[in-house]
Amino acid sequence: MQSRYSVLIISITALVYSVAVLGVRTTASAADSPASISGEVKFQGTPPKPTRIDVSQDPLCAKAHSTPLTTEDILVGPDGGLANVVVYISDGLSTQTFQPPQQPAVLEQKGCQYKPHVLAVQSNQKINIINSDETTHNIHPSPVNNREWNMTQPHGMPLEKSFAREEVAVPVKCNVHPWMKGYIAVLKNPYFAVSDKEGHFSLKDLPPGSYTITAWQEKLGTSVQKITVGAGENKTLDFTFKQ
Amino acid sequence: MPIRKSIVLEFLMLGALLGITENAHCIPAFARKYGLPCSACHEAWPMLNNFGQTFKDNGYQLGNGRDAPIYQDPGYWPIMFRTTPFWHRENNNRQGVDSIPGSAASGLIERNVTTSGFDLGGVDFIAAGTLYKNISVFVQPFIGNSSVTLSQAWARLDNLAGSRWLNLKMGKFELDEPISQERSLLLNNTGALYYNYFFNPPGDRNLFGGIGLPQLGIEVSGHSANDYTRYSVAMVSSNSGATGLPTNQTYDVYANVNQAFEVPRLGMQQVGVYAYWGQSPTYFQTAGGTPLPGTGTGNESFYRVGAYGHWFVKRFDFYTFYLHGYDNVFLGNGVPANQASTLPVGALAPVWNGGFVEGHYNPTPRWVFISKYELTRMSRQANPLLPPKLGNLDTWTVGYRWYPIMSTRAGLAWTQEYSHIANVGAAPVSHLDEIRDSYLMGFDFDF
Amino acid sequence: MSNKSGLIRRVAISILIAWNVAGYAQESHVGNLVGNARRGKALYQRYCIFCHGQYGDGRGESAAYLDPKPRDFTKAAFKCRSTPSGSLPLDSDLYDTITRGIHASGMPSWKPLLRQERADLVAYVKTFSPSFQEERPGAPVEIPPEPPPSTESIQRGSELFQSMNCWSCHGKDGRGNGPSAVSLTDSKGNPIKPFDFTSGPTFKCGNTDRDMYRDLVTGLDGTPMPSFASATTADQRWDLVHYIRTLSTANRSGHILQVKGR
Repeated sequence: MQSRYSVLIISITALVYSVAVLGVRTTASAADSPASISGEVKFQGTPPKPTRIDVSQDPLCAKAHSTPLTTEDILVGPDGGLANVVVYISDGLSTQTFQPPQQPAVLEQKGCQYKPHVLAVQSNQKINIINSDETTHNIHPSPVNNREWNMTQPHGMPLEKSFAREEVAVPVKCNVHPWMKGYIAVLKNPYFAVSDKEGHFSLKDLPPGSYTITAWQEKLGTSVQKITVGAGENKTLDFTFKQ
Repeated sequence: MPIRKSIVLEFLMLGALLGITENAHCIPAFARKYGLPCSACHEAWPMLNNFGQTFKDNGYQLGNGRDAPIYQDPGYWPIMFRTTPFWHRENNNRQGVDSIPGSAASGLIERNVTTSGFDLGGVDFIAAGTLYKNISVFVQPFIGNSSVTLSQAWARLDNLAGSRWLNLKMGKFELDEPISQERSLLLNNTGALYYNYFFNPPGDRNLFGGIGLPQLGIEVSGHSANDYTRYSVAMVSSNSGATGLPTNQTYDVYANVNQAFEVPRLGMQQVGVYAYWGQSPTYFQTAGGTPLPGTGTGNESFYRVGAYGHWFVKRFDFYTFYLHGYDNVFLGNGVPANQASTLPVGALAPVWNGGFVEGHYNPTPRWVFISKYELTRMSRQANPLLPPKLGNLDTWTVGYRWYPIMSTRAGLAWTQEYSHIANVGAAPVSHLDEIRDSYLMGFDFDF
Repeated sequence: MSNKSGLIRRVAISILIAWNVAGYAQESHVGNLVGNARRGKALYQRYCIFCHGQYGDGRGESAAYLDPKPRDFTKAAFKCRSTPSGSLPLDSDLYDTITRGIHASGMPSWKPLLRQERADLVAYVKTFSPSFQEERPGAPVEIPPEPPPSTESIQRGSELFQSMNCWSCHGKDGRGNGPSAVSLTDSKGNPIKPFDFTSGPTFKCGNTDRDMYRDLVTGLDGTPMPSFASATTADQRWDLVHYIRTLSTANRSGHILQVKGR
């Protein structure tokens, strides 16, 4: 009887140890010859016309814009690239936990809009929230997996927040200015990107392996692809969304 | 004239009047208004819990800023009905019957009589609620099997001067009884009444029907926020709740005060005292020998006083109730006050004591088990020639109610009850004890 | 054998500890009351289930007819707290809400229930969200002594009402009719109205000046009402309280209105 327990304990210990070693080794090998995935997110079809937003209720918002403000929910570049798409590894990494980066992410309220419109951060990464407007905002995320909070932020007030659990993506709004809508994607690994104005994205410093890559767009939903990258490999991966 | 009183007397002395207590209520109109289930306000409907009692004392208001009718759908009409189809069996061991059926001259003998069958108890309609913030009303027509009566109808100004300690009610209303007759959990023929609420001694001619009857008058009442402290004082016309001023022009007074405490691990414990003091006429002005309604005079006084408690032991609770009764010697002997010489030799004011214990076990909102034991004891007869124990009664009841549905829209209960009553000396011929048994099962529903 | 019994003892102890921790999460502590979730469940089924629902998700059978909607306990976001926005409430906050009720909502005061029963309900309400087992409540906010209301304080409060954009929702006159009012939803997307300060001196989370101050610090989680914790200083919050008092047409104490009228 005694021996059976000992075997159990030893095997558990060995398992824990090997997982730890493996974790260290994959990180080490990734540092030696990291892989990367880059590509473009495209919008298929006729891009919807952004609609105008009436901001006249707050003169301080209206003042900041010489041309009318328009909606940002589907932003398509001149060549059909789709902006503000969160591309991230949704599966394929070992169960290791990643420390959040020291560098805080920045979310700015400027001209009564969120800059960026879609922000991607790692879980527990600090988010430096700035109000560059003269008017007072309230910043109100409505998460599902994280805790909801709701803070008033006048011009210049420092505010630092973070989200503990993965969630793609937490809607953020300003109740005072109902047109203000943004998203914060919270990822548990550091391999994510948000497509730029031309729809380009790249995931860098990847450990070699087989991954499930998910692209998320606030209006158009998600698109999922599988890909395998070897050490030092740079692969291209494109996503296409349509309405 | 005092129809109610004679009914009650008949009920007590001869028995066999059905349906007199068919006006208890859970009020789905309120449930629909607030989206709360019956179980929020009723330990087991129609019996209130402290939350429901507070709601009632607040003038049917929750006090959450949503009470005024303006917050309701304009189509909302605060009305409900309640009725009870049932099967019952009644037995009387010494029923007085003619020795030859159909022949009144054949002489009365006593027989053991049993009746049984399906039956109905009439329909209650209750329209109640707020007319405006802090103005509440209650209207309750009762459609009996052969008549329509207005059981209650009143308006109440709630929270006067912004204080829950001052509320003013006027109309025909149920007195603030220690345990409500209107909300009795029992429906059967012999067990549903609280006999102490209606008791008058044998031979008594007091026109007062008892504190169990709704009365006509005004009431001032108040309570603390959690209803642990409550008071009410009512001044009512001495007409025993009958409309049309049938008796006299005096006023009776009823007062009730109670205080509750929270005892750790047991629950709420409540104690209270109450008193009713009134006057009843002993003769009337007459025209051609016929009494003129409302001209009753030779008013003589009577009172009912007592104390009670409501005790919780987790999901068990018990009411204990004590009553001391006194009727003036003229009332007790049925002698007009202007004919003192006709009083029997050695006549005295009748005095009696009574009480009951009623226990409930309420394991879940869907079940309540009920048992009750009640007695009255004459301590002094009005006429010394009467047997000292005449009028004493003992009654016990067991039953349960099952609520198969829990809803904010309607209530339905299945009930089974068994009750037994022994009236000392009430058998019409032998003057032995009259014993009646009653069994009832049926649905009690309201919508 | 000694090793074996040692192991068994260790396993037993860890099970016991896990049991205790879980047991603790099933309790509430309010003053010297210890609420019990098992007893609370029976009470919940009697009093609460028809609005807040069997699963505490605010989807009881009456929910469709209520405005604002009943609280979804699974989200563990509560309007009335003494803790900062985004943190769990204290047990006593939930107890106070059950006791007080929430004005201008379907939630009545449950003060007629026993103190013990209310504590039991708190314990049960906490079981609907795992957050209460994973996190600790926030530190309660401090409420400094209230400076006496003055014309100047009210004036400053009036300016803050403007600069903090309170008017966007609550309206220039505090009638709850600001330009953003129609767009507001609660966290579940149901339309919700900003409070009408002219409706009287009664508020959602208590009616004293201290309650109003606390609301400004904590915000009302689950609603669009944000926290003004860092946005304002303590004195500024008192100024806002004094100003908001003047908006009520039924200000019973009258002391602030008199100051204003001077």
